[in-house]
Amino acid sequence: MIAHIKITDGLLRAIRGDLRRPHTFAHERVGFLTAGAAYAPGGGIILLCRGYHPVADEDYERSSTVGAQIGSDAMRKGIEAAYSNKSTVLHIHTHGGRGRPEFSGTDLRSAGQFVPGFFNALPRMPHGLVVLSNDNARGLLWTAPKSRPQYIAGFIQVGAGVHKYGEHHEQA
Amino acid sequence: MSKHDRQSFLGINSERNLQLVRVGIVGLGGGGSHVVQQLAHIGVGQYVLVDPDVIEETNLNRLVGGTLADIDASLTKIAIAVRVIRNVVRSPTIAAYAKPWQEVVDDLKTCDVIIGGLDSAIAKDDLDRFCRRFLIPYIDMGMDVHEVGGRYLIAGQVVLTTPGAPCLRCMGIVTEDALAREARNYGAAGGKPQVVWPNGLLASAAVGLFTQLICPWHSKVPAAAYLELDGNKHTLVPSKSFALIQDQPCPHFHPDEAGDPMFDIRHPAQAGVGVGVDGARGSWWSRRTWARLRAFLGAWVRWPRETKPVQVNGEAL
Repeated sequence: MIAHIKITDGLLRAIRGDLRRPHTFAHERVGFLTAGAAYAPGGGIILLCRGYHPVADEDYERSSTVGAQIGSDAMRKGIEAAYSNKSTVLHIHTHGGRGRPEFSGTDLRSAGQFVPGFFNALPRMPHGLVVLSNDNARGLLWTAPKSRPQYIAGFIQVGAGVHKYGEHHEQA
Repeated sequence: MSKHDRQSFLGINSERNLQLVRVGIVGLGGGGSHVVQQLAHIGVGQYVLVDPDVIEETNLNRLVGGTLADIDASLTKIAIAVRVIRNVVRSPTIAAYAKPWQEVVDDLKTCDVIIGGLDSAIAKDDLDRFCRRFLIPYIDMGMDVHEVGGRYLIAGQVVLTTPGAPCLRCMGIVTEDALAREARNYGAAGGKPQVVWPNGLLASAAVGLFTQLICPWHSKVPAAAYLELDGNKHTLVPSKSFALIQDQPCPHFHPDEAGDPMFDIRHPAQAGVGVGVDGARGSWWSRRTWARLRAFLGAWVRWPRETKPVQVNGEAL
């Protein structure tokens, strides 16, 4: 199954702008990206981004081991934002820099714990994790709570230009 | 030496980007036939061509690539477009369908850009809505000839809309009046007067808008554009009224409408249910829209003959 993410450049700009804001004590910010989905011919999936829901300042928890730790209220609000329109939930944060970013071990371990939980409220949709750099992105997608996640093959940014990045497009 | 040497200002990756971009062209008449020809010349490699019609003698005044022999052979407009592309592009990837676009949405939704040359406001509105649902930039062309004081004014427009930016309704190209007028005519836009040179101007501008989306050669690429043709003054200029709304968000389409509303990851059998090369069952979009259209138009319209979709690569045309 090959999955792509499409996002408008306006939405992506807003996400990057929000994630860049400093927090009182957290070292980085996170948010939730919601998306619709469609099957592509051949069984691929296209995720079509709908909106961005930042984690509120008060929903961060102090932690000395990770850059941003959020509580159950933040997760609940993220799922609530997706629930009314039955959207995919993508946990999103940025590592900054340039080029295709890598997930950290903490990203992968924590996502493996919380992403399967998204299926309880939204079983119809795939869910996952996205990490941004300043000019690229990487994503992981779960198609079922107990399935192995798969990397997002490519990102397509539309607006004042059509920009494609990610492994699928860079290898083509 | 390559055929791209004289367009190298489009960027170091422009040749590759143009080869890999997938363009849908809906309507291959006076506007679309020009567009196909130009896309082939700039090196676009992947096409989804959609037009249900066969060429007729009345098309010859403007359908680029059409010949008298094509009329004798009752050739489809898509077959003519395929020939035009193949004469210029080595090994293009072409999916071509002699069908209404609503029946090939599975192929169209994978396009990076769609360019429409549709006459009817209802059809323009539907295609604009479809493009927004699947986050596809849409470039629309239209022209008309108006009688003014016993003489004629050639007018037209080419617009670019992208998700989130003003839509055809925001721009006043699709209006409630136009939709109601067509509804009173049972969905028919009527045989509008068409001539080749304004179509060529509009198509060239459409290809320019497309090219700057894919290979921006300057820094002021807009997310939306509205160019107005005055065919009597021979001018094509940015719309003044559009300048007032170009930075406004579109109130007609909500971002939460993106995606297939029936999508369910637990039922992977949904994948590929849209019309394929075998003309199988239509997707939710085509079934709903096409059924609604047929029911609405009823027996008032002589439907184009059913023709097999043509997957050009690997299949007989």
